[in-house]
Amino acid sequence: MKIAATALSHVDYLVAVALFLTGAWILLTSGNLVKKVIGLNIMETSVFAFIVTTGMIDGGAPPLVAPGDPGPFASPLPHALVLTGIVVAVSVTSLALVLILRVRAEFGSVELDEIALSLAAGDTAEQSERHGSADD
Amino acid sequence: MIEWSHWLPILAMLPLVGGALTPLLFRHRPAAACFWAVSVASVTSVVAIALLLRLVDSGGFSYAVGGWLPQYGIELRMDEVGAFAVPASLLVLLSLVFSRHYVARAVDASRVSFYYALVLINLGGLNGFLVTGDLFNLFVFMEIFSVSAYALVATAREPIASLAALKYLLLGAASSLLVLFSVGVVFAMTGTLNLEDAAAALALSSPMPAGLALAGLATGFAVKAALFPVHFWLPDAHAAAPAPVSAVLSALVVKAGIVGVLRTLELFGGAESLLQPLLHLVVWLGALGALGGALMALVQRDIKLMLAYSTVANIGYIFIGLGLATASAVSGAMVHAVNHAVIKSALFLAAGAMIHRTGLRNIDDLRGLGRRMPVTAFGMAFTLIALSGAPPMAGFTGKWQIALGALQAGHPSLVAVLVIAGIVVLAFGIRVINALYFRPPARVAVASATEAPASMWLPVLMLTIASLALGLAGTPMLEFVGPAAQSIYGTLP
Repeated sequence: MKIAATALSHVDYLVAVALFLTGAWILLTSGNLVKKVIGLNIMETSVFAFIVTTGMIDGGAPPLVAPGDPGPFASPLPHALVLTGIVVAVSVTSLALVLILRVRAEFGSVELDEIALSLAAGDTAEQSERHGSADD
Repeated sequence: MIEWSHWLPILAMLPLVGGALTPLLFRHRPAAACFWAVSVASVTSVVAIALLLRLVDSGGFSYAVGGWLPQYGIELRMDEVGAFAVPASLLVLLSLVFSRHYVARAVDASRVSFYYALVLINLGGLNGFLVTGDLFNLFVFMEIFSVSAYALVATAREPIASLAALKYLLLGAASSLLVLFSVGVVFAMTGTLNLEDAAAALALSSPMPAGLALAGLATGFAVKAALFPVHFWLPDAHAAAPAPVSAVLSALVVKAGIVGVLRTLELFGGAESLLQPLLHLVVWLGALGALGGALMALVQRDIKLMLAYSTVANIGYIFIGLGLATASAVSGAMVHAVNHAVIKSALFLAAGAMIHRTGLRNIDDLRGLGRRMPVTAFGMAFTLIALSGAPPMAGFTGKWQIALGALQAGHPSLVAVLVIAGIVVLAFGIRVINALYFRPPARVAVASATEAPASMWLPVLMLTIASLALGLAGTPMLEFVGPAAQSIYGTLP
């Protein structure tokens, strides 16, 4: 019972960890590059959600302080951190998507197994070319 | 008289601003972009050296950004770990000089100004990471050097580069998130982001969430540092990148992961019960990485892949030293981080010069090149021997100290690991030297090759000389990092 009560009072943290693991699972196991980036985005969201909730204070007002406001206020610092984190996440995601476009242009696929096939085919072509040049 | 500490933000801001301006100013003038980047890196190096002299002269100092004092404001500080900014700035400077002719062929003309911008931004991120005293800025600067590194890998023309960069990005971004998550946990526990403040608070806190934060930070930085078994992104990324970028990545960016681990140890220095199991684990992972990396390097045909696997091996050595936690092993590991940076950038630049002149990158294809490119081949041969740890060259100091530390800590088997890995490194070194000097050319490109331009062989030669000079300067370097090793771990045996 005690464990259940503790878990319930930290339900936001548990959800964040569950989301993080879900994203990590997708990132590690999916063979599709776009899905991997989506997994990464889920991980990012979970971390942002976690950090934002650490700023929460029970009964706290938004930290817009006017003269005479009694408080308590929610901590504004985590919001600033998450804002920076989102900027980083956007740039990482856009770079990843551009790289995926280039991978698709060069290998004709965004599936890792198909890319591996075309890499293997490229290797054999290169080897036969080498044998050819050794002949002449 | 300007306060010395004002130079600390300049160390990071100068390359960041200089890098951001590069594409605006020199989009259509790649030669001028190179000149600009070299100038910015030179000034940054001078600032870094001035700060180092100040540090040696009168100890560490810190700077409060915007005048807000720690622990509420953002703190920048200079300590012995931050002094890595000196080799970082100088090595980036030499890589930029080397890039002048290399990049013209290896990178699309429309991307050249962005290439220089990214290298400068990478340096800014590294320097900021080294001197920050604040956990969140540690994350931000880490992302600056990481994201620029992903993009730099992708500047190479080979089709494989985009795939290697993407692999590097996915692993790197996931590890960054682990770090950010752990920073969030530390903030939730302690209510502060200042490193020293948080360290003091963590020493008194309960082990459960602190252990979670420690595991997250250690894993995140271990991925950045390419510790076995999370090293698998490294060989492809370092081999596919343009050679000067490989030099920067192998010499500096993976070392930033090591610095991250050092900062983590500093943060949890008061929580010894949590650190001990981690340090034990790190020793054995390091040993596996040292052996596995050296053996994988031995079987590579591609010279850059060989060098990349050798980086995995050397990161293994450094982690053995950090994990042993004796005074000589830790200072040996810190010195080896610098020495390996110099040696490995010399090797990657020399390999780049050879690839630039011949278009070949298989070791067997490069045979006979020693006569054709005497300076470059000499640099490569000399630094390969330095890499194996032969005295009195730079690879020796760190490995010797780490071996001493292993004996002190009662792990003679680790000495065997170090010796075996050293022999394997010597074996692939001899394989390359044999191919370069004692075999006749088999390829037309080698037989007709000539020495690389001075902008290429001069950096290689300077790094080669440095790899001897740093070996001779082993004792002062160990004495310099000694106090830092003590203060990071508390007290060391």
